[in-house]
Amino acid sequence: MILAAKRRQVNRRHDGRPGVPAVQDHQIPESIAQADGHVCGHTLCESCVDLLFLKGSGACPECMVPLRRNNFRVQLFEDPMVEKEVDIRRRILRDYNKREEDFASLAEYNDYLEEIEDIVYNLCNNIEIIETNKRIEAYKRDNREVIQRNKTRVGRDEYALEEMLELEKVQEEARRKELEELENEHKKKKARDKQALIEELMYSGKDAAQIVTEFAEKAEKQREEEKQLPPPKPANEFSTGIKFGQTADPSLLPVPKSEEGPLFVYEPLVPFSEGPTMPPTSEIVSRGYIAHIRAETPQENAGGFTSALACERALQEALQGLYYTATTGVVSAT
Amino acid sequence: MYPVSSQKRSWTFANEGQLMEFRVEQNSKYIELHEEEAQGRDLNEHFLTSAEERLLLKQYEIYLFDFCRRFEPPMPKCVVGTAFHYFKRFYLNNSPMDYHPKEILATCVFVACKVEEFNVSINQFVNNIKGDRNKATDIVLSNELLLIGQLNYYLTIHNPFRPIEGFLIDIKTRSNMQNPDRLRPHIDSFIDSTYYSDACLLHTPSQIALAAVLHAASREQENLDSYVTDLLFVSAREKLPGLIDAVRKIRIMVKQYQQPDREKVKAIEKKLDKCRNQANNPDSELYKERLRRLYTDEDDMPAEDASFHIADVSSDTSAMNISQ
Repeated sequence: MILAAKRRQVNRRHDGRPGVPAVQDHQIPESIAQADGHVCGHTLCESCVDLLFLKGSGACPECMVPLRRNNFRVQLFEDPMVEKEVDIRRRILRDYNKREEDFASLAEYNDYLEEIEDIVYNLCNNIEIIETNKRIEAYKRDNREVIQRNKTRVGRDEYALEEMLELEKVQEEARRKELEELENEHKKKKARDKQALIEELMYSGKDAAQIVTEFAEKAEKQREEEKQLPPPKPANEFSTGIKFGQTADPSLLPVPKSEEGPLFVYEPLVPFSEGPTMPPTSEIVSRGYIAHIRAETPQENAGGFTSALACERALQEALQGLYYTATTGVVSAT
Repeated sequence: MYPVSSQKRSWTFANEGQLMEFRVEQNSKYIELHEEEAQGRDLNEHFLTSAEERLLLKQYEIYLFDFCRRFEPPMPKCVVGTAFHYFKRFYLNNSPMDYHPKEILATCVFVACKVEEFNVSINQFVNNIKGDRNKATDIVLSNELLLIGQLNYYLTIHNPFRPIEGFLIDIKTRSNMQNPDRLRPHIDSFIDSTYYSDACLLHTPSQIALAAVLHAASREQENLDSYVTDLLFVSAREKLPGLIDAVRKIRIMVKQYQQPDREKVKAIEKKLDKCRNQANNPDSELYKERLRRLYTDEDDMPAEDASFHIADVSSDTSAMNISQ
């Protein structure tokens, strides 16, 4: 009560009765009321929740929907409607988890996405709640298998992402190892050099100062050599980690699904002539028919017409219908 | 392909009797519908009889051919053939009292030009028509859809011209006839005269073509009988009588053609002016009234403002003067 009273000064809408929402309070985390299968979306500050839901359950002071204390969550978004929608969406998408490849065509997938939006909108705005819930139940019943399968199956995108992360990890490991080895080598070498210097100083009869400078120079030279050492690795990937010289990952290209329809069945054209049989196409030229028709011009030839075609057509039309006899004729002239 | 065409299926008839039936039926249908217009007079006096209709149409077929022959730019043969087909088909389903043949004639040629890809604009087209060109334009364009509808939208016509070429190629290749090209003038004149007969409604284009070739051969004192029996029908002798019969019928049809008597036709035309369907007469008040209503219905504008050519030139009755 004390807290609530305090807040009265801060918030105009908090009129002292516990449970009346204080929308703009930023200091005290607010919670959002959530009932089973239904979120009324009204906010309460945490202290009000403590007060009102001492027993663990009670009615929402705003709309009298029975609520449980456990179901209160800390509000993430400033607008409770957004919060409510995000929550509903999360719940709906748990079941509506079909993906594009589950549908035969893009159009069907789009219809499905639209249906989800309809449901979310209805639940958010309290339109036809009962019917919508029935719809969800029906969907769950009808698609139990698909839902179950999709839940267990990691999304393809996630899978690809995981693979990439895995690869990165391996590479990092390799790099770390390499560095370690290099460092070890370096240390060993330094120790060897030191040992050599001491031995030199001990056993050779040269001037100590000269030996020291000699060794210093040698070390300097070696260091310079080392700097040039790490040979550039052959580039076989872009900076983003995508390999090149390798064809695009086939899993990234969705196999286009064709619309199911009756297949085309080729039926060869059976010329129906009702007349003497035509000379076969091959004989148009060989038997000299072609000599009696104008040769095609280059323009006509470019259009795909040859004099053999024209010749064949003229012969065909001459022979067609020669056997026709008017036995029945047409019944009516329409 | 002719054997699977609409021309064979719907527009090739069994015999002349069948054609006659259609024509008589159209005639009596029209008279029945307009009986009260006779005002008690003898129906045969007021309306055209079926025989008179035939005579009238025969005269207009001559006009049709002359119109095509004089057409500028000169039109290909197939346009003429197609126009004749349309004209004959149209009057199987309609009476010339309902639609005046001079209007349908021009419309047939216009549609045939389009279908046979002989490209003339409507302005070029009406330049060939004597009389009021605006009015002719209106008549042709307003009848175009009517004609196509009456043809049941079957616009492809199989003319005998390509079969003729086929026969000539075949004759040149397989028979030993000397210079078959000298047959051509006779073939052309034979085909021209088939236009005046009903051959194209009764026989296939290849039969008409063969009849023309055989006729031309006999004119040139050549005999192609052996070509037909020994080369064409060598594998189907049993079909030969049917073909001989068809060729004989076509030749008789052409031979028996008689030009209609000019005086008689003039009398018929006078009669037609009285008994024709005034709703389809562009000079009649009824037609103008109907058109005016049509325009105002469509454009929703007051009747006084409806201005169109036909109303403007109502005094000129000489439009579509193709016959002179």
